[in-house]
Amino acid sequence: MSKKKDQEKVFEIKWKTNLQYRYSIGKLAVKFFEELKKNKKIMGSKCPKCGKVNFPPRAVCADCMVEMTIDDMVELPPKGTLEGFTVVNYPFTDPNTGGMRPFPYGYGLFKLDGADTYTMHFVNETDVTKMKIGQRVEAVFSEELIGDLTADIPYFNIVKEEK
Amino acid sequence: MSQEIEKKVFRGRIKVPYKHTAGAYVEKFIIEIGKNNKIFGVKCPKCQKVYVPPKMICFECFEKMEEWIEVGNQGTVKGFTVITHSTPVMPLEPPFAYAIITLDGANTNFVHIIKESDPKKLKIGMRVEAVFKEVPRKRILDIEYFNPI
Amino acid sequence: MSKHDVAVVGIGQTKFRSKRRDVNIPEMVYEAVKMALDDAQLEPQEIDAIIIGNMDHFEGINYSELFCGIEGAPGYLKPVVKVATGGTTGSSLAISGYHNVASGIYNKVLVVGWEKLNEGGATTGIITAFDPVWERPSLAGALGPLALMAGMYSAKYGITPEQAAKVTVKNRSNAANNPFAHLQMPNITIDYVMSSQMISYPLRLHDVCPQSEGACALIYANEEETKKITDNPAWFHAVETAHYYTFGTDDKMYDLPTAAIASKKAYKKAGIKNPVKDLDVAEIYEPTSWSELSWTEALGFCKPGEGGKLLDEGITLMSGEFPVNPSGGVLSTNPIGATAMVRVAEAAIQVMGRGEKRQVPDVEKALAMGFGGSLWAEILLLGKEPLR
Repeated sequence: MSKKKDQEKVFEIKWKTNLQYRYSIGKLAVKFFEELKKNKKIMGSKCPKCGKVNFPPRAVCADCMVEMTIDDMVELPPKGTLEGFTVVNYPFTDPNTGGMRPFPYGYGLFKLDGADTYTMHFVNETDVTKMKIGQRVEAVFSEELIGDLTADIPYFNIVKEEK
Repeated sequence: MSQEIEKKVFRGRIKVPYKHTAGAYVEKFIIEIGKNNKIFGVKCPKCQKVYVPPKMICFECFEKMEEWIEVGNQGTVKGFTVITHSTPVMPLEPPFAYAIITLDGANTNFVHIIKESDPKKLKIGMRVEAVFKEVPRKRILDIEYFNPI
Repeated sequence: MSKHDVAVVGIGQTKFRSKRRDVNIPEMVYEAVKMALDDAQLEPQEIDAIIIGNMDHFEGINYSELFCGIEGAPGYLKPVVKVATGGTTGSSLAISGYHNVASGIYNKVLVVGWEKLNEGGATTGIITAFDPVWERPSLAGALGPLALMAGMYSAKYGITPEQAAKVTVKNRSNAANNPFAHLQMPNITIDYVMSSQMISYPLRLHDVCPQSEGACALIYANEEETKKITDNPAWFHAVETAHYYTFGTDDKMYDLPTAAIASKKAYKKAGIKNPVKDLDVAEIYEPTSWSELSWTEALGFCKPGEGGKLLDEGITLMSGEFPVNPSGGVLSTNPIGATAMVRVAEAAIQVMGRGEKRQVPDVEKALAMGFGGSLWAEILLLGKEPLR
C-alpha cells in the first residue's frame, strides 16, 4: 500500500500500559525461593503417586491430578544436560520492563539431574558453534541471593569438558 | 509461620507499548473539532439514526454509514455526576462534573465534562455548550469541556 | 455423537497485510463478516449467535467482543462469546462454532477471528501469556521455544536447513496463487531463505512466519438450514483438540504429541485409515519451516523422521499426491487470532472447489490444523458430503 505524500498522517493513539500486579506464587514456590535464598538449594516437587519429579515445583501432578505439598519437595543438583539450545538474536520489547531485552543471548533447554521435566533458561554462551546437545550445564548463583529466579540464578554455564 | 508463607507474592508488571489505529471515522471527527470547531456525526441510511461520535457501522441495522451530518455545539444533559476525588488520570483538576449529553441533532449520547462543580447548579434537561481548546492536540479533549448556558 | 451435521456455508477473509492503517478494529472485522454474509446470502439478523476471538495483549484491548461483536459483527442483542486460546484461537473458534450447531442449540452461527498484530507486538504479547515467576524473565516469545524445537528435531533425525528452506519456498510460492495471502513470493529460492539473517539458531528470518493484520469469518449451519442456503457446502467430519502440560517444556518438545493424539482420534471418527491416501489436501499450522516437516510426521502423513523426505519426494507440493498448504500456510500469513481459522477456511474452499488458482484437483476431503502456546493442537476434518 503506497501512501500519498500530501495525505495527512494516519491518526494513531500511542500509549504504554504499565499494569502492576502482585502474583500469588503458591506455597511450594515460596518454599523454593526460601531454600534458594537461605541454602542455595534448588528444589522440585515429586508426585506421591507416580513419582514424577517436577521442576518448577507445582501443587498438582498433571498426570495423576494428585496434590503435592512442601513435604513432597526434593532437592535437585544445580546441574543438567543440554537437550536443546539457541541464541536469540532479534529485538523485542520485554513486557517486564517496557524496554528492549538485550540480545543476543543464549537460551537452552535442559533437564536438571533427577528431574523428569525440562527447563528453559539463559545459557552463558552466544556462539552456537560452541554449543551442542548433550553438553553438561551448571547453574551460576549470584553473590547475593534475594529469592528471585533470574536475579539469583542469572544463567547456566556450559561445563567445559576436560580433555 | 504459615501466615508468612500464605502472603508471599511476586511483584511484576506488564509494560507494553501500543500504536492503536483509530480509523477514518474517528480521524475526521477529531480533525473537525480541532481545526474547525465543528462536531460531526454519521447517519444510518436504514434507520436514520445519527451517531455521535461517528462510527462506521450502525449496530442495530448492521449497515455501513457514509452520510456525515454536522450536529450543533449545544446539547441537553441526560445525566451527570460530580467528581470530587483526585486520581492521576483526571482530565481536569476536581471538582468538575461528568455528564451524558445529547447534542442537538444526534440520536446517541456523548460523555464529556461540564465545568461546574456545584450539584445544585446542575440539572437533568439543562442546556450546555461546547468550549473548544485554543490549540488543538488531536484528542477528544480538543473539546475542552461544556459550559452551562 | 453430534445431533446435527454442520457445514460451512459462508466464508470471508480480508486481504492480509502487514499494517491496516486504513481501518480500526471493528471496521476490519466488518470487512470479513460482510464478505461471509454476502457469500452465504444471509441477512445479518439471520445469525443466531456469534463467537469472536483474538489475543488480548497484542492490541492492548480487552473485552473486544463488546465492540467487535456489536459493530464488526451483527451481535446487537444476540449471544456473543469470546474465545482466546493463543495460536489455536482460530481453530478453537471453528470448533466452538461446530459444537454450538452440532448440539442443536443454534441453527446458524458466525465465527470470527481477527488480529491487528502490529499495533502491539507478537513476541511481547506472547511473553505475557506465560508464567510470571518461572518463564517470563527468559522467554523469547514463541520464537525461542520454536528455535529449540527445530534444533532438537534436526539433531534427532538429521533434517538439514535446506530441507527446511524448501518448505518456505513451497509455501510462499503457493501463496502467489492466493489473493488473500500476505507474503506472496512466486520467485522465491532456497538461496533467498538460507542467506537471510539468523534470528535464533537454527531459525533464519525466512524460516519464520510474518506478523499480519486481518480477519477471517465463517458461517456455519445445520443440515436443514444448509439446504436453503447453498448446494455447495463443506461438511465437518470430525473435530478434536488435545492440550498439553502447563509448561510446554514439561515433556519432549518435538514429535508434537498433541497433534498425534488429536489427529488419530479425528481419523478414527471420520474413518480415515491412511491420511495421505484417504485425504486430498491439508492446511496445517506451521509457524516455522521446520515445524511443517515435523508435524507432517505427527499427523501421520509419514513415519517419524521422514518429514524431510516427504517434501524431497514432492508429495506435499502442489503437483504432488498430497498437497500441504496450497494457500501458503502460516509462513505466508499470520494474524494470530485468525491464522488457525484461515486454515479451516482454506480447507473448506478446497472442498467446495472454490480455490481458483490454488485449487487442488478433485478434493473430497481436507484436513485443517491449529497449533498454539504450550504445544496444544486442534484438528478439523472436512468433506464434500456429510459423514455417513
